[in-house]
Amino acid sequence: MNRSFLLTVLVVTALSISAIAGSIEGKVSPGKSVVYVDTIQGKTFPAPSQQPVMDQKGLVFSPHVMVVQVGTTVEFLNSDTVQHNVFWPSISGNKKLTHNLGTWPKGEKKSFKFDNPGVVSLLCNVHPEMAGYIIVSPTPYFAETDASGNYKIENVPDGKYNVVAWHEGMKTQSKSVDVAGIGKADFTLSK
Amino acid sequence: MGGRPFRSVCGSLLFFTFAFSIVSAHKSFAIPAFSRMYGTSCSTCHIDFPKLNDFGKAFKDAGFKFPKDDESMIKIPPVMLGAPANAELWPKAIWPGTIPGIPPIGLRYNNYFQYTSSNRNQYNKLLPQGTVGPYIPATDFETGFFSIFSAGNFGSDIAFWVDDDISVSGANGNGGLGEAYLKFVNIGRLIKLPPHALNLRIGQVELEIPFTQSKSIWISPYDIYSQANIGAVNPVFNQQFVNNVFTVASSSKGVELSGGLHTGGYNYSIAFIDQNTSGTPQATNNNYVPTATGSNFGGVGIASDANFKDIYTSFNYRFNLEHDKESRNAIQAAGPTGPRDHTYLNFGSYWLYGRSVQRLSGALLDGTAAVFTAREPFYRVGGNMTFNYHCCLQFNALYMYGHDYNLLPVDSTGTLVSVSGAPPAGFVRGSPATFSGGFVDAEWLAYPWMYVMVRYDGVNSNSDYHNALVPGGFAGSPFNGAASVTRNRITPAVQFLIHANIKAIAEYQFRPSQSVTLATNPFTGLPVATNSFHTNTLVLGFEFVY
Repeated sequence: MNRSFLLTVLVVTALSISAIAGSIEGKVSPGKSVVYVDTIQGKTFPAPSQQPVMDQKGLVFSPHVMVVQVGTTVEFLNSDTVQHNVFWPSISGNKKLTHNLGTWPKGEKKSFKFDNPGVVSLLCNVHPEMAGYIIVSPTPYFAETDASGNYKIENVPDGKYNVVAWHEGMKTQSKSVDVAGIGKADFTLSK
Repeated sequence: MGGRPFRSVCGSLLFFTFAFSIVSAHKSFAIPAFSRMYGTSCSTCHIDFPKLNDFGKAFKDAGFKFPKDDESMIKIPPVMLGAPANAELWPKAIWPGTIPGIPPIGLRYNNYFQYTSSNRNQYNKLLPQGTVGPYIPATDFETGFFSIFSAGNFGSDIAFWVDDDISVSGANGNGGLGEAYLKFVNIGRLIKLPPHALNLRIGQVELEIPFTQSKSIWISPYDIYSQANIGAVNPVFNQQFVNNVFTVASSSKGVELSGGLHTGGYNYSIAFIDQNTSGTPQATNNNYVPTATGSNFGGVGIASDANFKDIYTSFNYRFNLEHDKESRNAIQAAGPTGPRDHTYLNFGSYWLYGRSVQRLSGALLDGTAAVFTAREPFYRVGGNMTFNYHCCLQFNALYMYGHDYNLLPVDSTGTLVSVSGAPPAGFVRGSPATFSGGFVDAEWLAYPWMYVMVRYDGVNSNSDYHNALVPGGFAGSPFNGAASVTRNRITPAVQFLIHANIKAIAEYQFRPSQSVTLATNPFTGLPVATNSFHTNTLVLGFEFVY
């Protein structure tokens, strides 16, 4: 009796959650930005098992910008025949979180688990022109815009959130968004 | 990066360097064209331009391209001069080849300010009373070189380099061609030699001297490199009759065979170059001799003053000192926080042999007018050593010994004569004209943007000594020349990389033995300096490349 009741409650809850899961969409000017839902008080999310790869090929970081959920392990690959290095001087300005991954040859990878949310500016101490970014989102709700700046973050539960938009070289901006099925937030970023 | 006082000192130095703009520079190059082509920073190849790091040395060894997978690194694709299939069709006749996608041109400019110490005009005391001598100001602003240079690779391992000074000291046309050559990299593969065993370079080149002069980070040239062997005839004292303007750092025309790598193991060079010890272009020959670029006569052809070709050889061996074998043999060492230059020890030696020629109008014993030719073989030999620690600290040392056979003109009675005296009737063998010396230096990259350096130069030359016995000093350098046997110089310097392509330079050239004691030559009655005459100089400068 009790077990079937619990099961019913779980199914109903699950259905109702999916029913109220909405999205946040809008436009960021200029385009090619990252938008994510900032930390939600009292909520934690399991770390994803997927390990995205940040490549170094042809003396550039590829992709140039990557967005991951906090707790994600990123693999850093060197596909060049020259030696590279990967380091970041801070995460969102916090210099205590600086890290240097060292040196490794072509075809090999090094991994790093990002446990702190924020903007990670990737650099190579051999090739100072190289730069890449990993945006570590504190929640699984994030998206990259298209070239025009349009974005849509899916599966966001209804509620009130702080949404952050980031673009390389621009000041980060955040906005409060109410999600009730659909939430809307447009950003105009400036230097 | 230091506290407030340190920043304020650096700021003051930068301001000081900026406030005074810049003399007496020599050439130095970095290649912005490669930056553009590969979309990479100067620091990929340079520590402090134009000084190469290990990767830059490997890039140069490979013929101005990445040692591996060059194609995948180029951001501006080259233009094909033939389909690759042609090479398969005619493997021994057609190499497709490429030209760079954009003209690989770089430009460079520098600008200097010099302060010269208080006894700068002392030398005028050697001139006869009432003679107007040259005046040396205490301070002087100078424009340096505005140079154009181009380098790259035509595919099939054929590299090229051309640099030319468009203007020097602000005077258009006052400069000249520095280096201009084609380099056929790794031609040893055609005769199945190991990789890198044999390259061929043809054109006007800087010899493979142990420490490059044209691409040195020092403003002032290495004294021993600019040491010519010029001795005046003085029948009263120890005579010398040498007029050899050859200096090892000058550009030379010829061919060079080379091999090995500059990033580890051996490297060698064997060059055959034109001899022109008189140092004057023999343009007048063109009126009589057809040349490659002339018709019946004229053209740009002949500059050698003898048939003989000077021979230059060098050999170096570099021991990379990393424990890990893989890292030791890689182009750059694998440091814990990123690739870096190797810690290494390099030993080398070099040798040059030539025959200086002097021709004099004289008379045979029967009085018939004749031309007498003095062929005076000479050699330069020496060794060099470098210890490098990672990116940041390097010690260099070089020693050179120069030796010129010395034929002295004599008249028909066998008495020594001066050139301006009685016509010579022949030559007798005199004491060789020799010099020796070298330098040691330490170069410390205190910060990625700041180089702190110090150098000691020493030259011991008996021709300098003899030349100083006549007013005017040795040719071309009456004010910084020594009147004693030995010239010393200690040069502390600091350089700031404002950007990867802009730097501010400060170099103080301290020359001990400042006193000048005047006396009278008892035989000629002319004034002479019996002590050294040296001036200290401070040179501040800016240099940029783009």
